[in-house]
Amino acid sequence: MREVLVSRLIRLFATIMVVTMLSFVISTFLPGDQVSAILGIAERTPEIEAQIREEYHLNDSIPVQYWYWLTDAVQGELGPTIPGIPVATDIKNRIPITAELTLVAIGLAVFFAVPLGILGAYKEGTWIDKVTSALAQFFLSIPNYVLAIFLGYFISVKLNWLPNSGWNRISNGLTGNLKTVALPAISIAMAEIAVFSRLVRSDMIGTLKENYVLSARAKGLSNRYILFRHALRNSSLSLITVVGLTIGSLLGGTVIIEQIFAIPGLGKRMIDAISQRDVYMVQGIVVFISVVYVLLNFLVDMLYLYIDPRIRSRRG
Amino acid sequence: MRQKWLKLLSMMFALAFVAAACGSSDSADSGDTDTTEGGDTTAATLDQEDSAITVPAEDAAGPVSGGTVIIGLEAEAPGLRPWEDTWASPSYNVGDAIYDKLMEQTAEGDYVGWAASSIESNETLDVWTMTLRDGIVLTNGVEVTGQTIADMFVVQQTGAVSAGQVASSLLTGVAAEGNVVTYTLSGANAAFPSILSRSPLGMIFDPAAATADSEGYANAPIGSGPFMVESRDIDNETVLVRNPDYWMSVDGVQLPYLDSLVFRPIPDENTRLDALTSGTINGFQTLRQGTIRNARDVGDSIKILEFQGSNAGGGVFNTAVAPYDDLRVRMGLTLNNSQEAVISALGGDGISAPAKSWFSVDSPWFSQAAADVYPGFDQAAGTAMLQEYVDDATRSDGKAAGEVITVDLSCPPDPTLIAAMQVLEQLWTATGLVEVNLTNFDQQTHIGIALGEAPGFIGTHGAHCWRVSDDNDPSTTLNAAFAPADASPLNFTNYFDEEMYGWIIEASSTTDFQTRYDLYEKVNIRLNEQVPMWYSGATATAFATDTNINGIDSWVTPDGILGVGFPGVEGRWSQVYVAAE
Repeated sequence: MREVLVSRLIRLFATIMVVTMLSFVISTFLPGDQVSAILGIAERTPEIEAQIREEYHLNDSIPVQYWYWLTDAVQGELGPTIPGIPVATDIKNRIPITAELTLVAIGLAVFFAVPLGILGAYKEGTWIDKVTSALAQFFLSIPNYVLAIFLGYFISVKLNWLPNSGWNRISNGLTGNLKTVALPAISIAMAEIAVFSRLVRSDMIGTLKENYVLSARAKGLSNRYILFRHALRNSSLSLITVVGLTIGSLLGGTVIIEQIFAIPGLGKRMIDAISQRDVYMVQGIVVFISVVYVLLNFLVDMLYLYIDPRIRSRRG
Repeated sequence: MRQKWLKLLSMMFALAFVAAACGSSDSADSGDTDTTEGGDTTAATLDQEDSAITVPAEDAAGPVSGGTVIIGLEAEAPGLRPWEDTWASPSYNVGDAIYDKLMEQTAEGDYVGWAASSIESNETLDVWTMTLRDGIVLTNGVEVTGQTIADMFVVQQTGAVSAGQVASSLLTGVAAEGNVVTYTLSGANAAFPSILSRSPLGMIFDPAAATADSEGYANAPIGSGPFMVESRDIDNETVLVRNPDYWMSVDGVQLPYLDSLVFRPIPDENTRLDALTSGTINGFQTLRQGTIRNARDVGDSIKILEFQGSNAGGGVFNTAVAPYDDLRVRMGLTLNNSQEAVISALGGDGISAPAKSWFSVDSPWFSQAAADVYPGFDQAAGTAMLQEYVDDATRSDGKAAGEVITVDLSCPPDPTLIAAMQVLEQLWTATGLVEVNLTNFDQQTHIGIALGEAPGFIGTHGAHCWRVSDDNDPSTTLNAAFAPADASPLNFTNYFDEEMYGWIIEASSTTDFQTRYDLYEKVNIRLNEQVPMWYSGATATAFATDTNINGIDSWVTPDGILGVGFPGVEGRWSQVYVAAE
């Protein structure tokens, strides 16, 4: 267990170093000057320019600038942003939004995908299996932004059921929050439902043919007990892996959905930061996403140990 | 078994939708607005050749106090410190609601007092004496006096944005005695009142609070304006509530009319329009022809207030680099620009008017003589000029005679701009004398490329998409746009003509309209003859709102003079109201 932990921590550190270094260097290749990014087309004096260059260490070489950033970052100072709010504060304000959107979408996906997957496996080859498989293929083939635009138009503009944009924080009321999270979460969830249900179905088909399942049936156990107690647990390892990785990728990958629904999450901020040449903000979000991604991988590994005693005993 | 599964699945779907759609309260529903019932006003847009201002029909019931209006902005207003943060159109919308301006522009283009009751200069236009109105109080309870303005100047002298304007406006000192403020300039500046009508020098803020916590001020600003910040969730919404102690009244009714005003940044143009038609918001701003067209298609269920002023799109040539340093190339390319075709590619047919000079036809500064010398679409003449350059053995780009001219055409990666670029590319390459390299950079990088770096501020751009001019006093843009490039980073063409610059400075040194008009006419003629811009039409802008939102285009100054409206889709919100049903 300790070996796994140490190995994961080393991987976390190495990933962050490489990712931040790369993103820092890449951002310096962007054309234009960072002073201009800060001042826009405002009139400026040489003194103001010099002051900004000094403040942002822009007169130093790229490795030195990176070092300044890194030494501040390890102390929790991710840098100033343009303008007003420190990077760390801005990211902290946005994490709950993207996290909620991701978790609701994944929750919806798992909630629908698992029964659909089980149903498909249990009714393998029947019309039910064919319909659920066809639906899965259909939703898998629709990009989430297309679905988002369609849902926005149909549910919001035509039916006036839900707002088509913005975000109500939970702190302002659960109802309002659910209203704003619904359409973007469904837009993301539909494709994931397709992926997860296909995964569960194929795993379950294999599991249901195992000898111990036949044995359980021979003992007269109910279908429900066999499906959920024996088959699902043993078929859930790959689902957990994929769900874990999907959460990680969605935390930084809801960019287009956040843009379409005007949701002030991390993805939207990342895009804005790139277009504004806000290097510190880009760095901050990249660090956050990479840390979460590695941590989620670590968590998935730990869940493996919990779910499958064979892995536990092998590592033990 | 089958029925059980189907029932379970049906219930799951139903639960998900009910959970999402149920509930009765939402901020989008708040206030007295109604998105489906028609109001009692309609908007009538005058012919673009005659006027760019949309004239509202009379609202017989008159202004009503109360209600909430939610406005969708094209972007977040990222920082609300006038002295420190660069303000674009979204920032002006929020800022105008929070801060009082010292001066304001009227529908006639004059500058009159807002928080100031009067302003006058000495004969040499280098000392301006302004008197503030009584009873103006910041929302933290601090009274606004002349000393407030003097203390603001201390902050403005070092502000990231304001310091540049302090220098360019020649302002050297501010003194106060009671409510009388004296501005001292290092030279004549006839347009000084216009500087006091906008950020960074025209907005009244609390200098003590700004000094104590400048960073905090960016998102928790203190002004004396009609609204004050109740909450601000960056990139999501800024909720303003009425300032209960606001000093201004109209017909005995204290302003503002609205109880609260909410701004939501919605960057996607289609989402913003859908947000209005779905009732998520009550109005939005746009600077895109395509969105105006789509909004027009919605029909009578929304109201569209359109405005086209002097701001025009297109592009500039960097005259400091070859081949654009040669007049034959600049003129040849401009003559090969079919403005109508580009407007069409931008989706602006019937929306954007063609531009021919720094000032639009409805501007008091418009000159027909200047417009007449603009090099309009003439392929034969343009190609002849390009041919002359191509055949020149000593051509400036160093290529051999007979080789084609390489043009670097760059625009931000907006789909409509890309379509317009492709039209331009086809027109230019059709001459057989030009090859075009197309590049797209995000807005910030695009600006950075044109600004260049110190010293020199030449930039590396060639033919660069750009918007020019506005509806403020001409000096506010022309002085910086054609000053020596090494002293003025905002000279994006890098064109400097000593004689022309002399006219520009001279125009800043007199308040006599006719004298200024004559000088600006000469400037415009020179620009069209020497450094023409390849125009893609006037910038079409609009506010689209519910039909019962009034007052955006009909506000008056404290002295009862009709205001300028909403150029640049910058709304003034103190007199906006939700009409009674």
